[in-house]
Amino acid sequence: MKKIAGLAITLLLLVGTTAVTAQSGQKPLEITFWSLFTGGDGEFFDAMVKEFNASQNEIVMKTDTVKFDDYYTKLTAALAAKTAPDVVVMHQDRLSTFVPSGVLLPLDTYVQKAGIDLSTFEEAPLNNCKINNKLYAIPLDVHPIIMYCNMDLFSKAGITKLPESLSELISTAETIQNKTGAIGIAADNTTATYKAYTLTRMFLSMLMEQGVYVFNADNTKANFNNEAGIKSYQALSDIVNKYKLTPKGYDYDSSVADFRLGKAAIHFNGVWVTGLFEQQPNLNFVAVKFPALFGKNAAWAGSHTFAIPAQKSVDEKKIIGAMKFIDWMTNHGYLWAKAGHVPTRKTAVNTKEFKSLPHRADYADAAKYVFATPATPKWPQCYDVMSDQLEESIALNRDAKTALTKLEQAINDILKK
Amino acid sequence: MSSHYADHKKRDIVLFSLPYLAIYVAFLVFPVIYGVYLSFFDWNILSSKVFIGFKNYVEAFRDPEFLSSFSHTLQFVCISTPLIIIVGFVMALITIQPTRTGRVAETVFFLPYMLSTSVVGTLWAWIFQKNYGLANQVLKLLNLKPLGWLTDPSIAMTSIIIATLWWTAGFNMILFSAGMKQIPDEIYDAAKIDGAGSFTTLTKITLPLLKDTSLLVLILQVIASFKVFGQVYVMTGGGPYGTTRVLVQYVYKTGFNYFRLGYASAMSVILFLVILLISSLQFLRKPDQAQ
Amino acid sequence: MRKLLNILVKVLILCLIIIWLIPVVWLLVTSLKSENTVMTDKLSLIFTPTLENYKKAFSSTLLGRWLVNSLIVSVITTILTLLIDSTMAYVLARIQFRGRNVLFIFILAGMMIPFEVLIIQLYLELTKMGLANTLIAVMLPRLAMPIGVFILTQFFKSIPIVLEEAAFIDGASRFTVFRTIIMPLSKSALFAVAIISFINAWNDFLWPLVAISSSEKYTITVGIANFQGTHGTEYSLIMAGAVLASIPQIIMYILFKKNIVKSIAMTGIKE
Repeated sequence: MKKIAGLAITLLLLVGTTAVTAQSGQKPLEITFWSLFTGGDGEFFDAMVKEFNASQNEIVMKTDTVKFDDYYTKLTAALAAKTAPDVVVMHQDRLSTFVPSGVLLPLDTYVQKAGIDLSTFEEAPLNNCKINNKLYAIPLDVHPIIMYCNMDLFSKAGITKLPESLSELISTAETIQNKTGAIGIAADNTTATYKAYTLTRMFLSMLMEQGVYVFNADNTKANFNNEAGIKSYQALSDIVNKYKLTPKGYDYDSSVADFRLGKAAIHFNGVWVTGLFEQQPNLNFVAVKFPALFGKNAAWAGSHTFAIPAQKSVDEKKIIGAMKFIDWMTNHGYLWAKAGHVPTRKTAVNTKEFKSLPHRADYADAAKYVFATPATPKWPQCYDVMSDQLEESIALNRDAKTALTKLEQAINDILKK
Repeated sequence: MSSHYADHKKRDIVLFSLPYLAIYVAFLVFPVIYGVYLSFFDWNILSSKVFIGFKNYVEAFRDPEFLSSFSHTLQFVCISTPLIIIVGFVMALITIQPTRTGRVAETVFFLPYMLSTSVVGTLWAWIFQKNYGLANQVLKLLNLKPLGWLTDPSIAMTSIIIATLWWTAGFNMILFSAGMKQIPDEIYDAAKIDGAGSFTTLTKITLPLLKDTSLLVLILQVIASFKVFGQVYVMTGGGPYGTTRVLVQYVYKTGFNYFRLGYASAMSVILFLVILLISSLQFLRKPDQAQ
Repeated sequence: MRKLLNILVKVLILCLIIIWLIPVVWLLVTSLKSENTVMTDKLSLIFTPTLENYKKAFSSTLLGRWLVNSLIVSVITTILTLLIDSTMAYVLARIQFRGRNVLFIFILAGMMIPFEVLIIQLYLELTKMGLANTLIAVMLPRLAMPIGVFILTQFFKSIPIVLEEAAFIDGASRFTVFRTIIMPLSKSALFAVAIISFINAWNDFLWPLVAISSSEKYTITVGIANFQGTHGTEYSLIMAGAVLASIPQIIMYILFKKNIVKSIAMTGIKE
């Protein structure tokens, strides 16, 4: 027994000491970095970081990856304990939950010191990273919701024109569904295994197409229980309940797989699936920006950004190094575009490399029509509640007024707290 | 008794229990107490805490999501507990047979218990996937209508329970077969001589003699069922539209996604009190029986 | 009639065994398919198995390192758990003192806490102790295992006290008695606790995820989780990951199967 105990203690000490020695610094500046990219995204991203490390010899980025669903759990704990790494990836819509607590550094002065030219960025995504006129993150990409169309199914049904309005979307999907037996519109409307928020994203986009933002100006009240909201909800519900173009209880994995296997005519999803569809043999598809179903163009978009956590003490050398990394990554956005995402920098878009990528150019201008999600720490909860309730109301075929009144009540309750 | 034995009693109690208690207090009791303390504050993890008394508790009882999550947990406990216990018992009856089938069955039934929550969750999510999963492919093969195992609110919880049953019934099986092995063979032999059928033997001998085992299994199972989280998190994420969201999941979400750690703590305290209440009812009976 | 019933029961038992086995088989089958053939309409039992998922798993990650980390964590956790749980249980089972029952209940109450709700508090605590991002931090909260104390206490109580009394009369100390009499007699119970502790430590996910920040210190469960894509699910790769993460337990199970079942069975509840 004693021997075993001794062995255990020795091992413990060993583990402890290796932990300490591993921290002592080396010559090139080591900058720690957390990423949330796994799967296809992860391969492209890790390759970029590797290329950055090879491109110069002052800075070495040390990346640790945690998959998306668990990433913020870990990051939150680390920020609370002030043990976060030097740079982190963060979704733009999470910024407003972190910034008010002062755990992220405002970047304005460091942008200047590192010599990053902000005018080369697309305005919309960059502005979305500003809170109270201070820049808290630098956008790597935008990933808007777009429309994928299976051209083989289109031509089989004798259709050549992509739908550009709500009535066209419905008639196109109906024709193809009737003639080919394929699913008209593959857009998930339930949460199973993976929560995709597609209904909510479409709802937000449709509202914005009618010039209506989901909350009021100071994010204290819901702003969708109105004509625009009713029209948007009705459209989403009709696609499922009236025209039966999307099956009920349709989950995300099914929607992606069905489109990938050529069994769905039209698919709504973020740009990130482009890479996956490209790898599918014999899938002849186009990817275009979210159609202007209600006149104007607008599309929900997520945005991956880089942010710098506040540390116990400010190490300016590290921060500047981190900024150089961010500069390089955003400038080389065309590498990242391979994963489907739209670069945020004109210097990345206007390159041979980007223009030679198939499909991307077709939806690159979607970046112009993106809008920011509400800048309130309550947004993650509102987003979940909206997603749950839209799914529920459509599944139960509630009428628009009932559905939206119920949703409005729930959202206002959250925003009031 | 030697004097030596009595002399060092206090010292020995301390020495023997110190390592355990130190770690237990530091890494379990302390975080729990800290959680209770936090439950009286409004705290978003990152900024400073604001004392708000019992407001979090009051809010919980008015929060429809808390109440629905709580009722989903109760639903899970009420259905899964008897089911997993009964299946575990039946398994024990099968595996207690000293045949090759019995041994093979024992190996197979206990195997899933070795797997982690995430493996079990992902595996069953895949089996229950609506369009491409094994379950529906089999149904289609039999010319039956495919089911929305995880997407239909009326059966999603059942699917989670099926996965949990598969995963944990083996553990109860082992506890039961332990109890069964302690029943002396003579009792069974005597019953046989008296001409008792296997059903009579089961109800008149096996079941009454397994009272203690059953109580233990019941307590452990109720506690485990109340703590349900991982399977749900992986398989449905609480969907479709929150109909399978269980309490621990809501607590987790409130803490880590909505940054309301005070409120999350208050909800965990409520959960803990409920589990404590229910299992103490069972524990309290134990000493009485022993005496 | 009776014969028919017997056959029916046998068939039912066989069905149950097969049903229980199917998910595991499906896990293996999926992991041997390529991503493109996984999502198909028809039940495709005939396919050409491929190791591409496993190759991908090994090539793109620190898999070997993670396995070693998991092994270190699980083995040390198991050993230390056995040490502290058994001494604690000995006190509860053998020494009479006021408040013993209260102490016992105080310890059992620990079983009722869902670990997930303690994570933030634990992380802040271990960071203050300077242990964040060490494997020690992964182990510490898992050592005091109430169910281990419970099993061992019940078991120790079942050992005839006569043996110890004889030793005490010979002047042996409590520690000697514990070491030379109790422990050797309790092998099966200790084994049971070891198994439970090992499974828990090996399968732990959320806590090591938060406690460890650098990927070379991940445990296998945390590392494997990254096989899940950022958007949606690649089932074949995930299943390959699941197989890899489960292999050590499965091997252990097959090697020690008899002991595992027997020892958990033996401890059951003796009174």
